[in-house]
Amino acid sequence: MTSQTPPVLPAVEQADAIIQMRGIVKTFKNAAGEFTVLKGIDLTLQRGEFVSIVGKSGSGKSTLLNMLTGIDHPTSGQVVVDNVDIYAMTESERSLWRGRNLGIVFQFFQLLPMLSLLENVMLPMDYVNMYAFDERPQRAMELLELVGLEKQAHKLPLAVSTGQQQSAAIARALSTNAPILVADEPTGNLDSRAAGHIIDLFDELAQRGKTIVMVTHDPSMTRRTSRTIIISDGELVDETIAKALPLLSHRLMRELSRKVEHRTVPPNQTIIQRKQPVDKFFMIASGQVEVVLEGRKADDTIIARLGPGEFFGEIELTRGGKSIASVRVTPEGPVELLALSRDDFNWLMNVSPLTSEAMTRIIQSRLEENRTSDRRKRRRWFR
Amino acid sequence: MRPRWRKVLSDLVDNIARTILVVSSIAVGVLAVGVIAGAYVIISNDMSAGYAASHPANIEIRMDDFDDDFLNAIQNFEGIANAEGRRVFGMRVRSVGGTQWTMLNIVAVQDFEEIEINQLTAIGETGALGKNEVIVDRDVLDKVDAQVGDVLEFQLSDGTIKRLQLVGTVRDPATNMDDFLAPPAAYITMSTLPALHQPENYNRVYAIVDSGQDDDTHIRAVATALKDKIEKSGHAVHSTWRSKTHEHPLAATVNAILGILMALGVLIVFLSSSLIANTLSALLNQHLRHIGVMKLVGARDRQIFGMYLALILSFSALALLIAVPLGGQGAYALARYTADEMSFSLQGYRIVPIALVIQIAIGLLVPLVAGFVPIINGSRVTVLKAISGNLVQGTGDQAEGGAKRESRLERLQLRFTQMLNRRGIQIPRPLLISLRNTFRRRGRLALTLFTLTMGGAIFISVFNVRVTLHDYINAIGNYFLADVTLDFDRPYRLNEVKQYAAQVPGVVTVEGWAFANAEILYPDGSTADNMSILAPPAESELVSPILVAGRWLHPDDKKKLAVSDAILDLFPDLRVGDNLTLRINRQDEAWQVVGIFKFVGSQRLLAYAPYEYISLDQNLANRAYSYYIVTERHDRPYQEMMAEKVDAFFRDNGFHLREAKPGLSTLDAAVESLDILVAFLLIMALLTATVGSMGLAGTMSMNVLERTREIGIMRAIGAVDREVMRMVIAEGMLIGLISWVLGALLSIPFTYLLATIVSLAVFSTPIEVIFTPTGFIIWMVLVVILSVLASALPARNAARLTIREVLAYE
Amino acid sequence: MSPAPPPSSSNPPLIELREAVKTYVSAAGSFTALKGVSLTVQAGEFLGILGKSGAGKSTLLNMITGVDHLTSGEVIVQTNGRAVSVHELDENDLALWRGRTLGVIFQSFQLLPMLTLVQNVMLPMDLCGLYRPRESRQRALELLEMVELEDHAYKLPTFISGGQQQRVAIARALANDPPVIVADEPTGSLDSVTADNIFDLFERLVETGKTILMVTHDHGLMPRFSRYLRIADGELVTEEANA
Repeated sequence: MTSQTPPVLPAVEQADAIIQMRGIVKTFKNAAGEFTVLKGIDLTLQRGEFVSIVGKSGSGKSTLLNMLTGIDHPTSGQVVVDNVDIYAMTESERSLWRGRNLGIVFQFFQLLPMLSLLENVMLPMDYVNMYAFDERPQRAMELLELVGLEKQAHKLPLAVSTGQQQSAAIARALSTNAPILVADEPTGNLDSRAAGHIIDLFDELAQRGKTIVMVTHDPSMTRRTSRTIIISDGELVDETIAKALPLLSHRLMRELSRKVEHRTVPPNQTIIQRKQPVDKFFMIASGQVEVVLEGRKADDTIIARLGPGEFFGEIELTRGGKSIASVRVTPEGPVELLALSRDDFNWLMNVSPLTSEAMTRIIQSRLEENRTSDRRKRRRWFR
Repeated sequence: MRPRWRKVLSDLVDNIARTILVVSSIAVGVLAVGVIAGAYVIISNDMSAGYAASHPANIEIRMDDFDDDFLNAIQNFEGIANAEGRRVFGMRVRSVGGTQWTMLNIVAVQDFEEIEINQLTAIGETGALGKNEVIVDRDVLDKVDAQVGDVLEFQLSDGTIKRLQLVGTVRDPATNMDDFLAPPAAYITMSTLPALHQPENYNRVYAIVDSGQDDDTHIRAVATALKDKIEKSGHAVHSTWRSKTHEHPLAATVNAILGILMALGVLIVFLSSSLIANTLSALLNQHLRHIGVMKLVGARDRQIFGMYLALILSFSALALLIAVPLGGQGAYALARYTADEMSFSLQGYRIVPIALVIQIAIGLLVPLVAGFVPIINGSRVTVLKAISGNLVQGTGDQAEGGAKRESRLERLQLRFTQMLNRRGIQIPRPLLISLRNTFRRRGRLALTLFTLTMGGAIFISVFNVRVTLHDYINAIGNYFLADVTLDFDRPYRLNEVKQYAAQVPGVVTVEGWAFANAEILYPDGSTADNMSILAPPAESELVSPILVAGRWLHPDDKKKLAVSDAILDLFPDLRVGDNLTLRINRQDEAWQVVGIFKFVGSQRLLAYAPYEYISLDQNLANRAYSYYIVTERHDRPYQEMMAEKVDAFFRDNGFHLREAKPGLSTLDAAVESLDILVAFLLIMALLTATVGSMGLAGTMSMNVLERTREIGIMRAIGAVDREVMRMVIAEGMLIGLISWVLGALLSIPFTYLLATIVSLAVFSTPIEVIFTPTGFIIWMVLVVILSVLASALPARNAARLTIREVLAYE
Repeated sequence: MSPAPPPSSSNPPLIELREAVKTYVSAAGSFTALKGVSLTVQAGEFLGILGKSGAGKSTLLNMITGVDHLTSGEVIVQTNGRAVSVHELDENDLALWRGRTLGVIFQSFQLLPMLTLVQNVMLPMDLCGLYRPRESRQRALELLEMVELEDHAYKLPTFISGGQQQRVAIARALANDPPVIVADEPTGSLDSVTADNIFDLFERLVETGKTILMVTHDHGLMPRFSRYLRIADGELVTEEANA
């Protein structure tokens, strides 16, 4: 990495981070007044991630994407892509930068209608002057082969199906070999079969090392990505919450994000002691914890290991009473937790019946498991 | 106001630039036609009225000296209502202290206040003309650089100088109207004549017939009878001229020129209508969504049609509001300019009803016709197309997964590019975009090309016509190749003049020419017309005639001559070898025509016969009044310098020299009047070019507007500002260059057409067309500049668009 | 929310689609967006049509509004006690019929930008001729009052927020007092609070007896319809009534 600009973020985070957004605020003004679409977004994306950004219409997800692509200016905040502060450039420099570093895929494909598919794919190379002039047709053809369009290469966009147009748009996005692909509802205008094909294509590209950021509101698409970022009314929902409690509405997730308390617990430390009262609900952001039935000596029984996106403490909060098992951090490393107070948890169970139902099911299954473990353990003691 | 009319009003007001474009396209056409139609009516009325008001002579006779008694006889001649005598002679004049002599026609009248025929119009405070005072034609002031109140010096034939007081200026609307070459006039009373060493006699008769003043046949009959009588009484008649009272001699010419301008005006209307059609269809296109919404909430075709009809009529009304008063003023200004140039008075500013009607008709009908198809198409558009076409721009009507077929032109373009590719030729894609964008809106392209091509073709043609006319004038110059001409008051021997002339450094050769006046007679003995016979030495190098038929002169030709092609107007069947009956010095003789040559104007009947014969015939063997000198160089300044030198030399040596003048000056008047005509044509050409580039600018901004989204895409995939601007300008230039090629091709027939019409109007004969690269080159440069300018603004707007604006779907 | 009216066999349904098929034909082949959809809508229903983009829900709506033409099948709408075969009307009759019978609302509001709010609301009355000019202004102001925008009546659409624009669009849809309101993703481009307000407005309209058809892809809205149907790849998947 070059060091012309002072590092904007601590080195630890930079290791593999390709996109960093810091405190992004976007306010639109018109005669009707101001409207803040993005309310301070912090987001780091790692190299090679296949990320989906999910949100309802009006949630600000397209604006967020525009911030990332340098298409729109943030009102405040900073976007650093591959160590380049993209809003320190002029609009024209940014165009060139974008051409070389981002491949953009639009909902409505946006191929230029007067150029054949092949020519469309060559165009970015012409604009940013990458690859020798004579090599460009061959490279473009290879890309079209990659997306299975070599036979349509010389047709105009309007003469092929919309799915094919989107495939060609992806080939175009790849033509300058940009490390990042950005896609705004790439399947939004396709039937389900064509959409499936496009997602397969993204999957393959992600495996080849591209960083892919995709905006969508289709849950079937988010399942295929390695990470999902939810945006709701201009704020990012804590990913841990989204993972742990997927049935919450985005609005509730966002409210919850504000209520939780972040904690880091060092290795081997016990978070919950068996038989002690519990007054918090914990969700794991990173690291792992062990659920342990402690023996008298060192013969503890580990009944479960919980990782990111999982939670604990719910049994005690719902059923009252004391902890039935201890929970402690694994020796491998610290764990980051989100803690929710009892009152907030109860409020949550009240406002989201779906989550409450799901929670009940989980509690039942966990209790079941606990009981069998406990029995096993007892049996061992008496032997 | 009801919402729909409110919307029409907003459409009119909100996009000021577009409104201005449409209104000015309509106004340009209305204005052009209004100016010309108005001027046409004013000029053709007032020119003849003004001419008639000056009581023009129906008959002018140039003859030898006569007195008041003789004039009385003429006045009493049967068929003559009134007659006046004047003495007209040439004399050189300069202001006191001036160095440059100017040749003037001095006109002596009996009583300046009492002129009844060919009345003069006083300019400014022109008082009574007394003895030893002079009043001049207003053109003279500039030429001699004098003011009223100054003293002018007149050079007498013996070299002495006489001073006269300049007491006023006049304009002569009647005399010598059709003679391009006549010098301007100065007026004195008969009583001043002795001071100028001139006899107190008349040498011209100006007569008005008592009936049939507009009947040429009658006038000719009276003229012939009068001339007979004059000659029978022992006087010699040099020439006679005829004119109708109520028809200005140049009316036909002026009307023909106005007719050409009118044709160009109509063309401009055509061009502007294609501009209107273009803009309106783009407007309707931009309004598709509005139309869709209105139809969705219940609007029917008829209502939409009505709304846009109202919009167009508002455009028309605005255009008329601007163009009609402007057109009226313009018409009057043009008429005044013409009147000024041609010395007639206008009857004052007025609104010409017919021009008004034409303007209103054009202002209303042209936009309606031009806008009809776009409006009909716009109002018939279906809601689905109107709404989806806008919401999912670019994917058009296949939002649900279908695909359109490529058009034939698109396939052709693709194949062509592929073919080039196979041969290893790649067109960079950004250029390819410009190329293909050019042909995307083919209807719009066609209309744009039409206007720009027409503008260009006319522009180029005007240059060609200008060169053609100048070439023709130069060709006339072939009959006056001398660098200096000398006119003496008495004949001198050839050898004597040649010997003296040879002493002036710079003189190369000298020729003595003879002249004769002849009447051409019809077989029945009546006079057909007058004709001047010029008699250069047969071997003369100073005439290089353009022969239409036959041969040029031989030294031993007797009673043989070459005549100008104007003779064919009188004798259409005349062939080389035929005889003409000429009356020279009251003798009727048959002359054989050996050649017919081309010469300007049908009224200028001219013939050449060898000096060798004519001089003998006139008992002037080896002598001549006129000498033509060839000098070492032939440019105008040198000629003027030599004329001064030769003039001084001969006068110093006691010759009675009337005038030495530079050869090319003969053509001055002709060139000047043609240049006015060319200037008019050029203004019209520039107007068409303006309409054309307005069309291009409109087209380019519509194109950019429609392609806003595509431009956003280009920027999203890496195109920088420069690239976007280059793309738009390349397209504009491409359109410009295509129109240049088409215009260049079209200019060929246009040149022929325009040259023929103009030369028929001015010279009454078609002339040989000459092409010059000037017009082609200037138009090429101009069209490139215009198209860059026309697309620069849209391009800049395009480059300014941020991608977000572009991609923000509602 | 008013309960869904019991389907009565004596009254013909307000809107009826019979085997509606829509096929788009193009060079790349034909594409069937609606594969024989049959459905009936009773007066007073608040019907949700759910589906992903591209599922055919907008096409379905276009068939009912007569904006697009069926490839085969029938669309019948009861209008003033008369059964109108929408698919048989020509463009002009459709325009007038639609203006008087349907209020149409879009995701993107589609107000005319050069007209003030009150004029936008007056426009359908002006074009359909059901109200006299003076009457129509009075009525437009009342409708704006209903959507709580009377203070902005003389502003242009660009000077109010998106949610306010959509409320104006609703007022415009009500201008000719049509029995049916058709809305295509009316909350699609609004933030959630604004969307809620708009939805409340729709519910109030149902209470006043309007029949509303709404296309959406937001499953969160499901419980608020009196009945909803899902459409996927051009076919109705389920049809459920909410209690």
